[in-house]
Amino acid sequence: MDPRIEKLLPTVQKPARYTGGELGQVMKDKNAVDIRYAFCFPDSYEIGMSHLGIKILYAIANERPDTWCERVFAPWPDMEQKMREQNIPLYALESGDPIRDFDFIGFTLQYELCYTNILNMLDLAGLPVKAADRKDLAPIVMGGGPCACNPEPIAEFFDLFSLGEGEEVNSEIMDLYAVHKKRGSTKEEFLREAAKIPGVYVPSLYEISYNADGTVAAITPKDGAPAVVTKRIIRDLDNVYYPKSFVVPFIDVVHDRVTHEIFRGCIRGCRFCQACFLNRPIREKSPEVINEQCKGLIHETGYDEISLCSLSSSDYTRIEELLNLLLDWTPGEKVNVALPSLRVDNFSDELLQKLKSVRRSGLTFAPEAGTQRMRDVINKNVTEEEMLETANIAFSGGYSAVKLYFMLGLPTETDEDVEGIGTLAKKVVDAYYQNPDKPKGRGVTVGVSASSFVPKPFTPFQWEPQATPEELDHKQRHLKETLPSRKINVSFHDIKTSFLEGVLARGDRRLSAVIEEAWRRGCTFDSWGEYYRFDTWMEVFHDLVLDPRFYANRRRDYDEVLPWDHLNYGIPKKYLMRESEKAKRAETTDNCHNKCAGCGANKLNGGHCDV
Amino acid sequence: MYEVRLWLSKRGRIRFVSHLDMFRLMTRAVRRANIPLWYTEGFNPHPYISFLLALSLGVEGEKEPVDVRITDDAVTPEEVRDRLNASLPEGLFVEAATKPVMKPSEITWGEYLVTYDPSEMNADSLKEALDSGALETEKSGKHGGRKVMKKVNVSECIHSWSLEETEDALRLKVVLPAGSVMNLNPQQLTDAVNAYLGTSAAPLRAVRLRLLNADLEEFR
Ligand code: SF4
Ligand code: SF4
Repeated sequence: MDPRIEKLLPTVQKPARYTGGELGQVMKDKNAVDIRYAFCFPDSYEIGMSHLGIKILYAIANERPDTWCERVFAPWPDMEQKMREQNIPLYALESGDPIRDFDFIGFTLQYELCYTNILNMLDLAGLPVKAADRKDLAPIVMGGGPCACNPEPIAEFFDLFSLGEGEEVNSEIMDLYAVHKKRGSTKEEFLREAAKIPGVYVPSLYEISYNADGTVAAITPKDGAPAVVTKRIIRDLDNVYYPKSFVVPFIDVVHDRVTHEIFRGCIRGCRFCQACFLNRPIREKSPEVINEQCKGLIHETGYDEISLCSLSSSDYTRIEELLNLLLDWTPGEKVNVALPSLRVDNFSDELLQKLKSVRRSGLTFAPEAGTQRMRDVINKNVTEEEMLETANIAFSGGYSAVKLYFMLGLPTETDEDVEGIGTLAKKVVDAYYQNPDKPKGRGVTVGVSASSFVPKPFTPFQWEPQATPEELDHKQRHLKETLPSRKINVSFHDIKTSFLEGVLARGDRRLSAVIEEAWRRGCTFDSWGEYYRFDTWMEVFHDLVLDPRFYANRRRDYDEVLPWDHLNYGIPKKYLMRESEKAKRAETTDNCHNKCAGCGANKLNGGHCDV
Repeated sequence: MYEVRLWLSKRGRIRFVSHLDMFRLMTRAVRRANIPLWYTEGFNPHPYISFLLALSLGVEGEKEPVDVRITDDAVTPEEVRDRLNASLPEGLFVEAATKPVMKPSEITWGEYLVTYDPSEMNADSLKEALDSGALETEKSGKHGGRKVMKKVNVSECIHSWSLEETEDALRLKVVLPAGSVMNLNPQQLTDAVNAYLGTSAAPLRAVRLRLLNADLEEFR
């Protein structure tokens, strides 16, 4: 480690964020590898180290004998300041080497509000933030993850994006790079070839033209780049590489346990839910494989908790089988299985008995909307009866705290729908007091978390206007004023944050200039309330003569060219339109277990979904 | 079941792992090493691992005592040491595993080696400061449940010291109070020296060499 870093570490908060050296980190001889890969998470160490995707891709890259992949996180502002004062460039945790000399700098794009951190990290590394200003072959700056589905706002900073699941395509990119590095190719030569790899999007190979009204006129590929780039998926989850070990952090991070993904995709198709549509088709991993991998990871890491994750874990068709396998050995090894919100109603008594022995996480429900009409619009197919029934089972089983998740600003939402949130929460309160088996001597607490709906690309609501900040403000007040019980605590998401998220989520390439300027004026860590500078952002929009409401609050026509129309996530626009029309009629669509709705995603998987 | 005292060294970058985080780290190491540790009873059982005295963030340790209980008598202290060493991250090492002799409450002094950069701290000035009898620093403490800053007379706390100067390092060996009654760490000592001299030196390295009882016998 650079002695200057060692000297400044005692003066910053949580210095162990910056030391590396954790158990499970991969060390290699830098002279024995051809490719140095900096895997960057554009947020704090604690958030980044909680992320499963980075653990998987880190392990896969390091399986390659020719590659050393290391981790990099956004230094917290106190550390950043000291690094800048002393001209210490951004370095990778494992080797301590500056990442500007690496071959790849890969960013995972988890949410829109970390975009300025990406620029900040490139700058701290000593690199120009714009791809066009980085002339050499290395480093190639690439991005992947959910926000790669509309990477246009950050297109100017990246050399390439990898769409969809990265396990296979990342290796193909590195293989190609190794060839070009040996050959001494230029960056352009490499990128032109890379664009031929399925799932690779090279933004510099697409010309964007605009109409007079500011909408996109055309997206034109050049130099042989494909007109449409289709995301990649892994067809067989049982046989795809899964890490045998995780890096075990020293400090407390958000999710500090063995996490295991049990399936990909979601059968429910809630119309606001980008994760659902981005991750289809539905593919399950088998209980035996999950169980064996969990056991291995527990022994390798020393963790005492396993958390099963997926978009909607109770929909895993073999959940009972899996829990039986896990609960066979975990209590003996003092390992806790953290259960995501499961529908316990159809479990056998025997399994319920076993479940009682493990520690439970809090009881949460996500009805998302307060009235049945509103839930039909968004296709959230849960009824009040089902919810209250599950709540009652939980109350009888000893729970006394419930958290309910809702969204405000959904399409067609009225004040009545907003009031419905309070009414529903009140019914949960009443159910508790009417339950004869409720925990003795304890009152109930019902937490209501109301976020603001942000329309996202590749969902049936991608054409909808986001509720304006003024409308959202009214809705939040209305909900608060009409709450029917003091047992209900409401918390809201910050409206200004949701607004910027809405702008960036459906933005076009012209926003690259806005993001760059906002960063130059000091914006970083925008998702952290204490650092978010909304006014600066608005000044930048004003100065660059771009209207944020054009992006967030405008209704798009079905025939408008959307900035992400050249990217294909497996679900044709026609299907999304059909769903959008059904939403307007408050008509629901069955989940995939009951009936395939023909979303088209199964075509990516040879016509198959695990349902 | 028997109790064993592990003597842990903590060197290099792992010195930035805090006392609180060390417990979690050891718990996981013990689990990986499959050591039959005694777990506390209760709703949320956790292994009994007792770090006898906190080591401040950034300070290295040569032999820090950690008490654990082994439930299986067939597993010897040497085996515990070896298995644990195979599972600890870089920088942590069990130097020895012995039968506890003294009670944790007997710990009274800590012997430290503090290294300064001679360009930041001058040997004569440091000597002058240490001889002055006027070193003071502030420590946060509690008074009637409220957080208050308390003045500490540092000069009175220092048991003994010696200084060694080489071309690129100024090495101060110093015995400071350590234990449940009174504690002073190398950073606080440095703060007091800086305040007295009007300097802003930071130790290059600080190592706790060993712990001593009230009679200045090595803690065992
Ligand atoms: S259940 Fe609905 S909200 Fe949840 S992941 Fe599936 S589609 Fe999304
Ligand atoms: S193809 Fe059918 S089963 Fe598969 S995700 Fe789409 S709607 Fe569901």
